[in-house]
Amino acid sequence: MMKEEETRNINIVNSEPLSPLKKWSAKWSLWPCHFVTSCCGVELAHAYGCGYDGERLGSLAMGISRQANTIIVEGTITRKMARPLRVVWEQMPDPKFVNVIGACGERGGIFWNSYHITHPHRIVPVDFFVPGCPVTPEALLRGIRALQDKIEGDDRSTISFRTVDLSGAGGKKNRVPESPKIIAPTPLVKPDIPSGVRWEEGEQIVEMLKKVLGELVISITVTDKDRIAIKTTPENIREVAARLSAEMKIDHVKSVNVIDVPHERKFIIEYTAGSYEKELMPVLFTIFADLRSGKDEISFPSLADIWMSADYTERELQDFFGVKFEGNPGREGNFLLAPDTPKFPLRRSFKLEEERYVLEDDKPFAPVIDPPTEFDIPLPPGLEEEVGAAGEYLLLVGPHHTGSGHLRWIMRLKGDTLSEVIPDPGYVHRSMEKLAENRLYIQNIPLFERLCIVDPFNVNLGYVRTIEKALKIDVPERATYIRTLMAELSRIDAFTYDAGIFSLFMGHSTGFMYLWAIREMLLEMITAMTGSRCSPSFIIPGGIRRDISDEVLNLVEKLPTAVQGRLRKFEDIFVNNPVLISRVKGVGVLSREDAIKAGIVGPFLRASGVEYDIRKIEPYEAYGDLDWEVIGADDGDCLVRFLVRLEEMQESLNIVKQCVEKLKSMERGGVMSEAILGEYSEAKDDIRGSFYRVFGNLVLPRGEWSTVTEAARGTLFFSILSDGDSNVPYRVRTISPSWYNLRGIIEASRGEKMADFWAVYGSFGYFPPEADR
Amino acid sequence: MMGTIEALINLMMADQVAIPLLDPILNILYGIPLLGYLLAFILWKPIFAGLVCPGFATLGVILMLFPWIERKLVARMQWRVGPREILPQFGGIIQLLADSLRFLFQEVIVHRDAKQPYFVQFPVLSFIPALLPLLFIPAGVIVAVKSAYGVQIILALVCLFPFFILGLGWASNSRFAYIGTVREAFMYFAYEIPFIIAVLAMIVLYGTSDPVAIAGMSVPGIILNPLAALTFFIAAAMATSRLPFEIAEADQELAAGPHVEYSGILFGLIYVMCYEKMYILSGLMTILFLGGGSGPEIAILGDLSGVVYFMIKTVIVMTLLAALRGVYPRYRLDQGLKIGWSSMLIMGTLALVISLAEVLIL
Repeated sequence: MMKEEETRNINIVNSEPLSPLKKWSAKWSLWPCHFVTSCCGVELAHAYGCGYDGERLGSLAMGISRQANTIIVEGTITRKMARPLRVVWEQMPDPKFVNVIGACGERGGIFWNSYHITHPHRIVPVDFFVPGCPVTPEALLRGIRALQDKIEGDDRSTISFRTVDLSGAGGKKNRVPESPKIIAPTPLVKPDIPSGVRWEEGEQIVEMLKKVLGELVISITVTDKDRIAIKTTPENIREVAARLSAEMKIDHVKSVNVIDVPHERKFIIEYTAGSYEKELMPVLFTIFADLRSGKDEISFPSLADIWMSADYTERELQDFFGVKFEGNPGREGNFLLAPDTPKFPLRRSFKLEEERYVLEDDKPFAPVIDPPTEFDIPLPPGLEEEVGAAGEYLLLVGPHHTGSGHLRWIMRLKGDTLSEVIPDPGYVHRSMEKLAENRLYIQNIPLFERLCIVDPFNVNLGYVRTIEKALKIDVPERATYIRTLMAELSRIDAFTYDAGIFSLFMGHSTGFMYLWAIREMLLEMITAMTGSRCSPSFIIPGGIRRDISDEVLNLVEKLPTAVQGRLRKFEDIFVNNPVLISRVKGVGVLSREDAIKAGIVGPFLRASGVEYDIRKIEPYEAYGDLDWEVIGADDGDCLVRFLVRLEEMQESLNIVKQCVEKLKSMERGGVMSEAILGEYSEAKDDIRGSFYRVFGNLVLPRGEWSTVTEAARGTLFFSILSDGDSNVPYRVRTISPSWYNLRGIIEASRGEKMADFWAVYGSFGYFPPEADR
Repeated sequence: MMGTIEALINLMMADQVAIPLLDPILNILYGIPLLGYLLAFILWKPIFAGLVCPGFATLGVILMLFPWIERKLVARMQWRVGPREILPQFGGIIQLLADSLRFLFQEVIVHRDAKQPYFVQFPVLSFIPALLPLLFIPAGVIVAVKSAYGVQIILALVCLFPFFILGLGWASNSRFAYIGTVREAFMYFAYEIPFIIAVLAMIVLYGTSDPVAIAGMSVPGIILNPLAALTFFIAAAMATSRLPFEIAEADQELAAGPHVEYSGILFGLIYVMCYEKMYILSGLMTILFLGGGSGPEIAILGDLSGVVYFMIKTVIVMTLLAALRGVYPRYRLDQGLKIGWSSMLIMGTLALVISLAEVLIL
C-alpha cells in the first residue's frame, strides 16, 4: 500500500472546483458495498435493519462495489479475505472510504496471534476504526457519522496514544509476570482412556463389534457412556469402516480428527462416526489408527467414498496437517487456507506467537503480520479447461456479492442449470482450534463463542459441557434451567437471523426487516440477562456467571407474546406469500438417504425425515424435564426446511415460557456447582471476583472427551483431548453445524436452476464464520 | 423579418396555456419586450408540454423526488424511517440530490474488458426512448405532438427500451451482466405481447388511438375493461423490473444484472432510467385507463387543472408500482416467463375479447 493512497480520497473531495458540493454529496451519500468479512456483519445488518436504520443517514446498503463508495470492514480480515478486500477496494470509484469495525480489524482482537489473520490497515487505507467485539450498531453508526465529519473536514481522532515512561519502574524483566500456562513437554496422548463410567449396553455393543470386525482391530474400549473407541491400523481402517457401514448401519461421520504427537513421531487419525438408526443414535464410535510420521509424504486412506460426510473434513485436515488422504475426491491446492498461509499450521511444530505482558525491547504488544502481496485467489487447477470441455461456463459468486456471504461459490452452469457448485470456504477461517491449544481452558470460552455470534449460548454450552463431562461435575438445577432458557433464546436468535437472510435472498427485504424487529427485542432481552448483545460468555463450567433477577425474568416472560405478535405479521407477508411458496416448494429436495449421506444435521435433517434431536436423545440441561416435541417432516425441500425451523421457534418460545415459570417458583441463588468452586464457595451466586482463582488452573483428566450439542442449526461437535498434565488442551476439535450442512447445500442445489441456489442456500441457514471456525 | 416574428408570436399567443390564476401577472409580463416573447414561447402549448409538463422539467422533478418517495414508502412498510438526516425538517427530501451529485463527482470506471465506445454510449443513448414518448403523452389538453397514432408511437418507443438495456449489458462484458442481459431479453419477450394486446384492447374499445381523445372519454378505461388494466399493470411491473419480476437485476443472484459494471454518473443515468420508464408507463396507464387529466374542473387553474389531475394519477400509479417492492419476493426466470406466456397472454386475449364484445354489443 502506498503512502499517497491514505490521503488521496479525502483530497479528491477537497479539490476545487465545487469542493463544497463534493463534500456535501459525499457526506450524505455514503453507500457501503456488500462486503461481509466476519461476524460483525451481524451487527452491520442490525445497523441497517429496522431498529437502527442506517438509511436515515443517507447511507444505503448497496450491493455492488462499482456503485458504492464505502467499505465497512467487519472484523477479522483473514489472509484469504485480504485479497478480495484489496480487489473490491480497487474496483470502487474514487473517492472512496473505509471504516473498520470490530476489535479484530484493529490489532486482531481475540484472534491476535492466529496464523490466518492479517491487519486491514496494511491492505487498504482506513478512515475510521470502531472498537468492539462485536461492535454495537450504535457504535457503527457513530463511525459513519465520524466519517461524515471527516469528509466535512472535521477529523475527530478520539483516541490518542499516550507514551508511558517505564524506565524508572525498576527494570523491565522484573515486571514480566509468569505465564499462567503449564504445558507438559512430552505428554502421554491417548484417545481411548476409559473414564470408568458403567454402561451396560456398551458391553453388548462391544461384543457385536468384536464379532463384526474380528481380527481387523487392535482394541475396542468403552471410553465413556455412549462412547466407544476402536483402535485399528491404517491398512485395515477402510475395511473396518466398510464393515461398520454395512453391518452396523453406521451411516455418517461426525468428525475427522488428526492428533499430532511429535515426541512419539506419529499422527493419530481419528474418525468419529455415528448412526441414525433409532437404537444407536446416541452412540459415537471413534475409529482411530496411528500413523508414523517423519516421512516426507504422509498419506492415509480416505474414507470419503464410504462416508461422504467425511469428505470436506478430510480436505480441511489435509490443509491443516499435510496428511494426504489417498482417494479423497478433492482437487489440488488448498481447500480452506489461503495460498500464502504457513504450511501445515496445526502441526505442533508450528508455534504461535506468545503473549507478552509488558513492552519488551520497546516493541508493541502485537505481532507484525505481513499482508499478502498477491491479490487473486487461484481457481483449482484444471477446472477451467474441464468446464470448457463440458460445454459449461463458470460463475464465481462471492465473497463480494450480495448473495454470497463470506465465501466463494464456484458455479458450473449449463445454460441456467447448475451442474455443480464447488464451495471455496475459509474466508473467515480464524484458526480457533490452533488458538485453543495455546490458551487456558477458560480463555477458550469467549474464543469459541465467536464461532457463531447469532447462536452464542449454544456454542458456549457445547464447549462448557465437554469440560463438565471430563470433570464429571453436576450443575445446580437453577443453573440448568437458566442455561436451557438461554439456549432456546439463542435458537430463536439464530432462526430469525437465518430466516431474515433467507427472505433477503428471495428478494423480500420486508420479511428481513420484520424479523430484525424480533431480533432487536430478543437481543434487548439477552442484554438484560447477561449484559451483552451477542457475545456474553455467560455459561461457564459448573454453572453460569451469575443469577438472573426476578425483574429480568418478568421481562423475559413477556417475550413470547411480543414475539408472536410480530411473527404473525411476518408470516402474513412472507410465509403465506404465494410468490415465495412457488419459489421454494419442491426445490432442493434431499431424500432421507441423501440427507444422511451428505451428513447434514439439525432441523434440516429432521426436515428430511430423520428424527434426530440431541435434546431428546440424550437430554442435557433441563430438556428432559420440560414438555416439548421434536418437529420433523418428510419432504426435505426448501420450504419444509424453513417451516420446520419456524415451528421449532414456536416450540422454543414454549420452552422459554416453561423455563421462566419454573425459575420463578425456584429459590434464588446457587447457580454454581460447589464441586468446582472448592474453597471459593461464596462465589456460588455470582462468580465475579473469583473467576481466575477458580478456573485459572483447570486441568482436565487425561483422555478424549467429546460431546454433541443441539445448536440452533444442528449438531455441534466438541472434542477435547487432554494430556492430564497441561492446563491447556492438547487438541480441541470442533465441527459446527454449518460445516456439516455445507455438503447439503452442494448436494441439494445440484441440477437446480441457478436462481434456486439462493433458495437452497438460504433454507440451510449457512453461517460462514461458524463453518470456517 | 419583423413580420415573421410577429406572425410567430401571434401563432404562439393563439395557443397559450390558459391559467386564470396567473392572468394578471402574465398580462404584465407579456408586455415586457424580450421576456414576454420568452414567456409566450414557454407557455405555447406544444413547447409547454415538451419542456415543462409532462416533459422535461416534470421529468426532472420526478426523477429527483420519486426515488425518495419509493425509499421512504418502502422504509415505512418495513418499520423504518428511510432517508432523513440530510434535511430532517422535510424528511430528507433532497436525498436524491446528494446521491446524484455524488455520482456526478465520482470517477467513471471503464474497465479494460468493456466494449469501449458502446459502454459509454448506451446509458446516454437510452434517454432517446425515455424522452421521446413524453412528446406524445397529453397532460389534460396539453400535448406536444398531436397524433392520431399517439398511443402506438408511445408503445413503439417504450418497446425500444430493452434494446438499450441489452446493449449496455453486452457492452459491460461481464458474466453477471451477460446473464442479466439474457434474462432481460427473455422477460422482454414474455411481457411484450400481452402488453401490446392490452393496449390494443383499449384502442379497439375507444375506436381511436389519439391519446388526447382517449383521455377525454367520459368513462375511464379501468371500468370499461378492468382485465386490460390489470394486464397492463402487471406488464408495466415486468417492464420496469419491479418485484416480483425484478428478475434481470436480481441483486442477490446477479449482483445488479446488466449494470453491474457501471459506476459514477453512467450508473446514475441507468439508475434514473428505470424511473423514467416507470413514469412513461404510468402516464400511459393514466391515459388509457384512468381518464388522463380529466376530473372536476378547477376553474382558477384553467388548462393546468388537467395537468394537476394527470400528475396526481400518474404518481399514484407509480407509487403502486413502487409499493410492490415491499410486498413480494422475486420470481424465478422460468416462472416469470410462464406467467408472461400463459396467464398474462390469456388475460390479454380475454381483455381483447371483452373490448370487442363491448364494441359490438353497445
